[in-house]
Amino acid sequence: MSFWDDALHRAVAEVILAGALAGLVGVHVVLRRLSFFTMALTHATFPGVVVAALLGLDLLLGGMVTGVAVVLGVAALSRRTGRNATAATGVLLSAGFALGAGLVALRSGFSRDLSSYLVGSILTVTTRDLLITCGTLLVVGSVLAVCARPLLFTGFDPSGARAAGYAVGAWTLLLLLLIEVVVVTLVPAVGTILAVALIVAPAAAARLWSARLPVVTALAVGLAIASGLAGLYASARWNLAAGASIALAATGTLLVSALLRSAHR
Amino acid sequence: MTALRYTGVSVGYQGSPVLTGVNLALRAGRRLALVGPNGAGKSTLIRSVVGLAEVLGGTAQVFGRSPERGRELCGYVPQAGDLDADFPVTAGQVVLMGRYRRIGWFRPTRAADRRAARDALDRVGLADHAGRRYGVLSGGQRQRVLLARALAAEPRMLLLDEPFNGVDAVSQEAILAVLRDLTAAGTALMLSTHDLRLAREVADEACLVNGRQWAAGPPSEVLSDATLREAYAP
Amino acid sequence: MIEPFTVPFMGRALAEIALLALICGPVGVFVLVRRLSFVSDALTHTVFPGVVVGFLAGGADGIFLGALVAGLLTAVVLTVLTRGGAVTDDASTAVLLTAMFSLGVVLVSRRSSYTSDLTTFLFGRLLTVTTQQIAETAALAAVILGLLAVGARALLFRAFDPVAAAAAGYRTFWLDLWLNVLVALVVVAAVRAVGTILVVALLIVPAAAARLVTDRPAVLALLGTGLILAAGYAGLLISWHASIGYGIALTSASTVVLLLVAAYLVLLPAGRLR
Repeated sequence: MSFWDDALHRAVAEVILAGALAGLVGVHVVLRRLSFFTMALTHATFPGVVVAALLGLDLLLGGMVTGVAVVLGVAALSRRTGRNATAATGVLLSAGFALGAGLVALRSGFSRDLSSYLVGSILTVTTRDLLITCGTLLVVGSVLAVCARPLLFTGFDPSGARAAGYAVGAWTLLLLLLIEVVVVTLVPAVGTILAVALIVAPAAAARLWSARLPVVTALAVGLAIASGLAGLYASARWNLAAGASIALAATGTLLVSALLRSAHR
Repeated sequence: MTALRYTGVSVGYQGSPVLTGVNLALRAGRRLALVGPNGAGKSTLIRSVVGLAEVLGGTAQVFGRSPERGRELCGYVPQAGDLDADFPVTAGQVVLMGRYRRIGWFRPTRAADRRAARDALDRVGLADHAGRRYGVLSGGQRQRVLLARALAAEPRMLLLDEPFNGVDAVSQEAILAVLRDLTAAGTALMLSTHDLRLAREVADEACLVNGRQWAAGPPSEVLSDATLREAYAP
Repeated sequence: MIEPFTVPFMGRALAEIALLALICGPVGVFVLVRRLSFVSDALTHTVFPGVVVGFLAGGADGIFLGALVAGLLTAVVLTVLTRGGAVTDDASTAVLLTAMFSLGVVLVSRRSSYTSDLTTFLFGRLLTVTTQQIAETAALAAVILGLLAVGARALLFRAFDPVAAAAAGYRTFWLDLWLNVLVALVVVAAVRAVGTILVVALLIVPAAAARLVTDRPAVLALLGTGLILAAGYAGLLISWHASIGYGIALTSASTVVLLLVAAYLVLLPAGRLR
């Protein structure tokens, strides 16, 4: 029996990889205020996953394809209706959620799939899931490293970046697509709620400790992995739902950070 | 009647001062221009009059009361550029907002309120724009709508934050004419601007600020080259 | 066209949707102009632990009270958090959403039938709405419309120009709490009957669609209500015929949402022309 045959060992590895991935993009999500977009992605890619399941295709492929469509849709809708991107994002969230849930209902025995889609089942993660998360981490990590400067510039000061010759729209689209890739990779393994929790909470906590991007990123990754491991431990120790325990641990890091920082001031 | 009396006042946000040493008195029917570079504390001073910025020291009196209690006699005109141009609201509705405090929570809007709003819009020369969305108006027209909103509340002191920023010549003339009428009828006026020419033209008193109050008094003295150089390059 | 609604459970479902149309149309306008889509989405998730605790404490009757307490608690916490400023609004909303929902899941995971509870929470049981639930919704609808009628002017002023509203003497914090409580009450009124999927959509989509063809808040509210009524009626009818005539299990909540989204898509070109 190899090390990877133990479900708990696989879960630990997945939590570390997912935490690193979530922390990396989480910094951008928090700095650019894209939490709602991230939440919408988790819901809006749902029908793609269901259709892929119904047709017997690869779930990840289904999620990726719908995700790209959603990213382009949000970009187009928010440009057309002026500055109110929130409403357009909300419409896409509702549409995706309803379509996915409606499709699931067409199949029998759907309630199990649906709840694992929401809260994940990190204890049943497969070796294939692990390899995919690992590959995504490598790709997303290197893209973020190579493009760090333009992403920072276009995010912090769009008009200044445009004046300096950056194609701001294209860089924003790239970032949205990176978030999409991360969300689609994380959701099947850890569930929508946990994916959002791992992306937003550790990065928001890290932001409280530093204003320098490299420090914030390192801290976010560290806190995400730590909350993943802590949640997993709590789940094994007290027999709680694993995904939810991790999400609560991530919230805990933000809560403690906020308390410590306000006491410090 | 003294509309505004500030004695040794510091104003700021969350306990940290933005502008200190303010000594001002403004009587009914007078026009005061606040002059200073960007970030000098002009907006903060104006906001402190209506209780939106903190008075951290000294005594601030608005119509003999604290700013929180005196503000019901004040009309505040923000910068038009700060507002959401996509917001689903017509120019007429924006002006009617000036009546909301008067209407209170439970009374429905009456014909008298609508008439007051229409009259205010008429005064700034936009009577025929009541049904248009606020966001489709030009920058100058938006500023006039916000002025009309303040007028609809029938204030005894009017506060304007950079009312001529991004405003076309026609709107500027319309605003200036309304302001002259108002002060002739006894309304006190306080406006901030970084346009020295306009300040000299519109005001009969001036106050030069940059982190602290540098000078106050007749525009010809306060806005002299020597004082300005001193305040702008401290 | 009318006949399916003479069946009692279909008639009750339509009545429930009509009540929700009455409150979601006007409240949706404020969700739109204050950009509270995410807050609405968060509230539908954060009432979940309330539902669980309410059920554990008092059975089916406890759900309503539990959801009410959790909803009001979220409204207060969100208002306080968005005022604080250390963490941005959207991040704190996301964290509160995931934390509260996870709390619900942790509580529920201690029991056996946890997946079916979750499913009900998502979809609601529009077709098994009881007269008592309709009465609860009606009572809450009256409260919501009353609060809205009194606060509408101030809420509109605050949404358009928060600084001038504060200068006029309105307390922004209390107005924000007022609106968050209104949204929470809508969620509580609707979530057990129609599920989270439908509540979120009812608060966001109709106003967004109406906004494409009108600029006036009152027309927005009326149009929103009209759209919900139409989509509710058509959605119930379609899922009825699909299940009776063709044996297809169309979820009525999903059908209603998709019709609303279709209305939005149809109106998109109209918004572009204007």
